[in-house]
Amino acid sequence: MAASFASKCSRVGHSLFGGLGNSLSGLVTTSQEIICSKFLSQQQQRSFIQMRTVLKVVDNSGAKKVMCIQPLKGRKGARLGDTIIASVKEAHPNGKVKKGKVVYGVVVRAAMQRGRCDGSEVKFDDNAVVLVDKQGQPIGTRVFGPVPHELRMKKHVKILTLAGHIA
Amino acid sequence: MRLEKCWFCSSTIYPGHGIQFVRNDAKIFRFCRSKCHKNFKMKRNPRKVKWTKAYRRLHGKDMTQDSTFEFERKRNRPERYDRNLAEDVLKAIPKIDKIRVSREERHHKNRMKGNKAKLLNEAARELEQGINLVKPPLVLQQDPSLTLPKIKVQVSQQQAEENRPMEE
Repeated sequence: MAASFASKCSRVGHSLFGGLGNSLSGLVTTSQEIICSKFLSQQQQRSFIQMRTVLKVVDNSGAKKVMCIQPLKGRKGARLGDTIIASVKEAHPNGKVKKGKVVYGVVVRAAMQRGRCDGSEVKFDDNAVVLVDKQGQPIGTRVFGPVPHELRMKKHVKILTLAGHIA
Repeated sequence: MRLEKCWFCSSTIYPGHGIQFVRNDAKIFRFCRSKCHKNFKMKRNPRKVKWTKAYRRLHGKDMTQDSTFEFERKRNRPERYDRNLAEDVLKAIPKIDKIRVSREERHHKNRMKGNKAKLLNEAARELEQGINLVKPPLVLQQDPSLTLPKIKVQVSQQQAEENRPMEE
C-alpha cells in the first residue's frame, strides 16, 4: 500500500517535484505525502516548461500562442533561457509564421524561479518565448516586455539588443 | 554587489537572499524572505501591515526625515575607484550608523514620554481595587480604612453539610 501511494504521489507530483527541487525530498511518510501534495498545489509551485506547455510569444513574428513539443536540453523540462521546439497554436492572420508550424523558441520569461550566480532568484509573471530559427537568430524584429540577463550567457545577444527592458 | 531594500518590509537584502519578481511592465519587486513574498502575493498593502517599515514611518512610529538617510540614497552613477575615498567611507559608515541609532532612540523616547503618568494612575487604581491580594484580610479588618464594607456569612453549618457528602 505504501508503494502504491508513493507511485501515485510521484505521478501526481511530477511537475510539483520538478519545481520544488530539494525541499520535498526530506518528507517521506505516506500520509504526509498526500497531505503535502494537496497543500503544495494550493501554493502554486512553479514548474518546468515541458511538453504541452502553452507559452506566449512576445515578438512580432506573427504567432501568438505556441505549445512546447520538446525541451532541448533538460530531463525535466526547459527553464529560463533554454531553447524549445514548439508548435504554433494561434497566430496573427498575416504573419511570417502560420498556425501549425513547428518552430524553435527561446524562453525569455518563466514563472519558475531561476537562480542567479549571486545567489538570488528571479521569477517572472508568465511564460513567454521568442521564436528563433535553427541557428538561434530571432525571426521577429521586435521583442516586447522585460527579458533576463541570462540570455547573454546563452549567447542570445540579438534578442537582448531587440529587448526594451533587461531585467 | 548592491544591498537592496525589500519592497515589502524595507529591510536590507544581502547577496544570496531573497527572490526578485519581475512583472510584465518591467517593474522589479525584491523580497528579503518568503514571508514578504507571500504577503505580496496575497496583495497586502505594506502600508497597512503593522510590522513593516512603511507602516511605521507612515504612522509616525519611526523617524521619517533625517540627514543620515541622505547617505543611503540610491546613486546610479558609478564612482571611479579611489583608495582614499573608499577608506574614508569605510570609516564613516559605523559612525553614521551610531548617530542614526541614537537619533532613533531619541525619537522613540519622545514618543513614549506621556506613559509614566498614565502607568502610575493605573497602578494606583489597581491597588485600591485589589488590596486583598496584598494585605491579609485580618489586618484590613483591624484597620477599617483599608477595606470595603463586608457582609458576614455563617460558615459552621455549611462546613457540616460539605463534610457529609465527602464522607460518603
